[in-house]
Parts: sequence; structure tokens; C-alpha cells
Amino acid sequence: MKSCLTLLTFLVPILYLVGQETPTPPEGMVYVPAGEFIMGSTYGDPDEKPQQIASTKAFFIDKYEVSNAEFAKYDPTFKFPPEKKNNAVIVTWSKANAYAQWAGKRLPSEKEWEKAARGIDGRVFPWGNTYDNTYVVWDQKKTRGTSIAKPASPYGCYDMAGSVWEWTSDWYKPYPGNTVPMEQYGETYKVMRGGSNFNNHSFIRTSQRYYVLPEKIHVYPVGIRCVKDID
Amino acid sequence: MFKYPLLPLVTVCILFGTHSIFAQKVNEFPKRTDPLYKKVEMFDKLMLGNHWNEGAIMQHVIFPPAGLDRPIVGSQADCLDPTSEMLAAYSHKYAITKDPKDRKIANDIFEAVLKLEKVTGVEGLVARSFNRTNEPLWHEEVMWYHEWHQSTSLPGYRWLGDLSADKFTSIFYGVGTFWELCADDVYKKKAAGLLDRFIGRVVDNNFKLTDLDGKMTLWGNFCPNLPHQELNSLEMLAALKVTYHITGKERYNAAYHMLIDRYHYDDHQINSKILFPEEWRNVGDDYHAARSLYMIMRLETDPNLLNKYRMNLNRHWYDWKDLEFTWESNIWFLMVYKVLTGEDVFTEEKKQGIKDMWGFDRNTKEFKIPQKDGSFKMVRSEEERTAAAMIRNYWFGRYYGIIDEKW
Repeated sequence: MKSCLTLLTFLVPILYLVGQETPTPPEGMVYVPAGEFIMGSTYGDPDEKPQQIASTKAFFIDKYEVSNAEFAKYDPTFKFPPEKKNNAVIVTWSKANAYAQWAGKRLPSEKEWEKAARGIDGRVFPWGNTYDNTYVVWDQKKTRGTSIAKPASPYGCYDMAGSVWEWTSDWYKPYPGNTVPMEQYGETYKVMRGGSNFNNHSFIRTSQRYYVLPEKIHVYPVGIRCVKDID
Repeated sequence: MFKYPLLPLVTVCILFGTHSIFAQKVNEFPKRTDPLYKKVEMFDKLMLGNHWNEGAIMQHVIFPPAGLDRPIVGSQADCLDPTSEMLAAYSHKYAITKDPKDRKIANDIFEAVLKLEKVTGVEGLVARSFNRTNEPLWHEEVMWYHEWHQSTSLPGYRWLGDLSADKFTSIFYGVGTFWELCADDVYKKKAAGLLDRFIGRVVDNNFKLTDLDGKMTLWGNFCPNLPHQELNSLEMLAALKVTYHITGKERYNAAYHMLIDRYHYDDHQINSKILFPEEWRNVGDDYHAARSLYMIMRLETDPNLLNKYRMNLNRHWYDWKDLEFTWESNIWFLMVYKVLTGEDVFTEEKKQGIKDMWGFDRNTKEFKIPQKDGSFKMVRSEEERTAAAMIRNYWFGRYYGIIDEKW
């Protein structure tokens, strides 16, 4: 009897895990499993601190940023040069949010974005800890996913460093435990992530946060990468 | 009937007069066939007359009706480039002429750089540009990031933040040249004080340019703990070398050697020039490298370090030797190369390129001006770019004997 119980103790969790198949992502998306990951940094801007263990539910996230052509399917009045159909779209937060809803998706939270970009191990960039120009789409003439070396994030997302900034659903607020005052904290600015091809290398770090007025993006190139909940 | 019957007429005259004072002041352009010295003289008048923003030099000016009479309207993100170029130009010019009028202009431009610090209200934090206005101007909405602030330290001014590594270079290059060639004892002290506060603040923030919000600026990364461009390593070393030379403060010498000994900035900077893939070559970045190499190589005496800076220069030369003179700043690259190496690189063709230098043409363009209700209005106006690089090139070339005064 005792040995049967011992067997069950080991067998049940194993059978449970085996039964949990990785969900098949919708086309153009990748799967990010539930669980904890390292969020924030100890060496970046004050708003990246404290480094913490955060967690998310499982979700799907777009493999690439939304392109001009994809956005135009939602908004036929949206104009762009034909040669830039595969370039990442640049839009305000409300347009990004409306697009996400139209597509049956939503904008990622900061936690979801950061986990999708760096995985669980606290890496500096989506591909690891060292920088290389060939990993990044720097040139605005280039389209999504065309960096020379094409490095992906741990879950298979491209261009989470460079290309265009990406909207999150979150307001710019301090992390729990952050005591550095910032007058910008609150519900005025939305957080964008991932840096763009018009800022220094440090801005493409996975933990870098930047705030911007949701409807007045000026010349900040900020675009869309959506997530989708798993039923 | 009226106590002051002439008041309306006087008001109209004042308004008209004000407009004529602050509208396009200088309209006389040189001819392309004019000798170089005459072209420089006339573009100098255009720059001082039309681009002078309380001593700071505008990179771009939009005239009425799209631009206002005062304050000046135009792209302002890069104003520190022409400002430092004119500061250097007048410093070189004064070194030749010893004319107090030239020194006065240089002093006034330097005072504007001081004002770029004063307007932020934070010691050592320098603005990209400023404007005397209480109201946001239309170009703030469309011509750069949302980085304009109302000054609390200088009421009635607005200033543009988010300083970059490029403008950082403009400051130590322009102020360093002014200190070296033009400033009297009073201004030497002021120049040293400014660099001490400005570079000192960057050092205190772990080699980052930080903005009013405490975050690193978009292009302000020289930090040894963060990934940054090789060019930024060069710029940081040059800034520390110049600041140590001018202030005599050991902390800058210590910081210079710390970045070299512990973080190998001397090796990192060698590859400032990206040569391959070819489409990544960037002459804009070369300008910042040229200014940094010009400043650091004349001050460094350690042969090992000099050799590494020369390796950097050689990588640039690989590209510069074949550059066509299409931009005034790349004419300067060759002058810098000659000054630093002593090699005579000026063929007759290159000399002709110098003689053919040009400032700008006045263009007419339609501007999309945001209105208060969120709509846009298209307004046709004249605009001017900058001739500061050309003027700096001329006096730099004259100072180093590259340009003949009769050209």
C-alpha cells in the first residue's frame, strides 16, 4: 500500500505535466509559458529598480511587430509608401489598442513584454548579454526581422530590441519597492519598450522603460506587438 | 475726442518697425563665383544677422509667416553644432586677427552656452537649445521629441532637453577651442567652470548624460556598465582629456585612466568608424570622431595611447581619402587629418573643393503647422540652413596655413 502511494505521488504530477500540451499558437504568434522570471535591473535607470521576481500567466505574443500593411487591413485610410509595406507601423497608443482589439488580441503588460523579450534568466538583450550590431534592425529602410544575424528572443520573437519601440498597456508607474521619485509616474504616460533604431544601444535592453504621452508621440517611432490570452 | 490722437499711428509704426527689425535682417547673398574670403564674409553676416538667438546659433531658421519674428522658429535639436562651430570659428579668427570685435563675438557665443546651462536650473545640465517665450511654439510639436520645458530658473524661456553624445562633443570641442585660442583670463575661468560642471555631472552619473527626470538621455550613453558605441568611448576619453587640461583637476585624469585601465576604452574606441557593411558608414558620426580626435591627439603625450588614436584615425582615413566634398564638414575631416598627421593630403582638386565651399541657399517650403484645435495649416515660408561649418572650416584652415587669405 505504501509503495503504491509513493508511486502515485510521483506518477500523478508526471502524468499531469505530460497531459499539459503546449498550446499551438495562432499564426504569427509564439507561446510564452506561465511562471516566474527576473524583471528589472540593478544597473539601468532608477525606474528599472528593484530587480524582482515577477510572474505571468501563459500567453501568446506576436512573433513580429505589426506592419504597415497589416495595420491598413484594420484602418483602410492608413497611408504608407508601398515600399514600406513590411516596415513596422508607427501609431499612437489608442490606435495601437484599437488595432489589438480588432485583431482579437490586446497590448501586452510590461511584465508580459519583458518576459517575452528576455525569458526567465534576466538577460540584458533578447539573445543574451553581449551586444552586436548585426542582431538589430538599425536602418529604417530595412523591414522587420531583417537583422543580419536574426537573433530571436528565448520564445522566438524578433525585433524586440531596436526597430520601433513597442506599446504596452501599462501606465508609467514605479515598480513595487521603488523609492526614487519621478514626477512622470502616474496615469499620464504609457510605457513603451524595446528601444528603436533611433537611440543608443542601452535603450534596447530588455529591462529599459521609457514613458511617452499616449496620444502625442511626436517623432518617437513606436509601434505594436500584440498578445493573446490562452483560454 | 482722444487724449492721445496720434497713439494708433505710433502703435502701427512701432509694430511695423518691430517687424522690420526682427524679420529677415540680412538678405544679401554672395555669388558662387566670389572668392572664398568674400563668400565667408557674407555668410558670416547672414549667420550673425539671421541665425543669432541671443548668442546661440540656430541650425535652421524659418522666416515669417511660418516662423515668428521673435523667438526664432526652426529645428533646434542640433543648435549646439553651429553654436560650437561659430565659437571655434571666432576663436581661430581671433587668434589670427587679435581684433577685440572678434573676441567679443566669441565671448557672446560662449555666454549663450552658459545660458544653455542656466536655463535648465540644474548645475551642469545643458540644454540643446532655448527660446525666449512663455508659450510653446508650433515647431516644438513637430520638429523633435517631446522634450521642451518651461524654465523655472530663467522665467520667460523654454528649453529643449535630452542632450546627446553629439552635442556633448560640440560642447567640449567648442568650449575647449575657445579656452585655447581666444578667452582672456576671466573667460578662461568661466570656460573651465562650465566644463567642470558639465563633464563633472556626467562623471558623477557613471558616465551617462542624464536629463531633468534623472533618466539617461536617448543618446547619452558613455557608461562602462552599459553597451555603447565605440565612438562614445572616444568622445568620453576626449572630453576627460580636454577637461583635465583646462581645469587641472585630477579627478578627470583619474577618470580617463580608469576608463582605459579597467574598461579598455582605449581599445574600444579604435573601431569608432564602422567600415563594413558599407551602408553602415556614417559621415555624420565621422564629424564627432573628427572633433574628438582633433582635441585628444593634440593633448595626449603617451605614445601607446597616441598610437591607438592614430589607428582610429587611420580607419577613418580609409573612407575619408575617397570622400567627395559634398558637405562642408567632410572638407574639415581632411584638414583635421593634415593637422594631426602632417601629411600633405591637399591635391589641387581638393584645394579647389575648399575654394568652392558654400553656405546655404534660401529656400521656400510649405510647412505643416499644428493648430490649437488639432488640425494642421499649410503655410509657405522661406527658410535657411547653416553656414557655420563653412565659416569654421575657413578660419581653421587659415589658422593652420591650409587656406590662403587671397583665396
